[in-house]
Amino acid sequence: MFTLEIIFNILAGLAFFIYWVIAFIILYHLSRFGIGVQPKKFAAAFLFGSVVLSATVIILFTRTDISAFLSL
Amino acid sequence: MIKKLLSIFHDSPNSFEGQKQGEEVLMLLRHHPFTIIIKVAFFALIGLVPIVLWIIFSALLEEHGWLNAFLFVSSIWYLVLWLGIFHSLTIYTLNAVLITDRRIIDNDLHGLFNREVSELHNHRIQDVSVHTNGLLETFLKFGDVTVQTAASEKQFIFHRVPKPEKVKDVIMRITASRHTGVKTMV
Repeated sequence: MFTLEIIFNILAGLAFFIYWVIAFIILYHLSRFGIGVQPKKFAAAFLFGSVVLSATVIILFTRTDISAFLSL
Repeated sequence: MIKKLLSIFHDSPNSFEGQKQGEEVLMLLRHHPFTIIIKVAFFALIGLVPIVLWIIFSALLEEHGWLNAFLFVSSIWYLVLWLGIFHSLTIYTLNAVLITDRRIIDNDLHGLFNREVSELHNHRIQDVSVHTNGLLETFLKFGDVTVQTAASEKQFIFHRVPKPEKVKDVIMRITASRHTGVKTMV
């Protein structure tokens, strides 16, 4: 059970890491290749939303009792 | 300092990589906003899924103590949606056509790592045509602009650009100004 919990935590961390890698690629493209004002606005909105949503995911992750699911 | 930093959001010039000295950007074209609104609306619709599930299964979730797990899964759902929306917006915003007083630069972004940049100098332009097809394109005033170069070379097609007639006029003017030597004003 304990091992499964560790695996779940690692998977969650990995998914989170992949999200931020893709987020970085999007932000890089918008700031590197974007012409004019619009890409900058999109980049700012995306970064802000990503930070807020990531914080929400982390908070909800810490509140979730994984062992209850694994015992099903 | 903060004011200066924020100024990039309202008076950022249309400068681009490889811009020649004295080269002036006359037009920056992207697909008509309708094309991206459709995609964002689709994502917004998908965003309703956790809300609908919550309405249907709220009693069951609370009964089994799965509320926190449901909220966690929903937050991941929204995080992925957020990524999807901005992936679409990135593709939309970087698919741009630049019309300068010297050339036309067509940036085609098919995916984040699939980018094609084509360039056409205005002395090679032979013909420009506009194609508006269907009810939506007619009422929302967008369509395809085709720029024909020398016979053996390829056509430049700018898909779903707003006000295609105006774009055609600008391209024709820069082509004419090349021959007359009179600078184009937009």
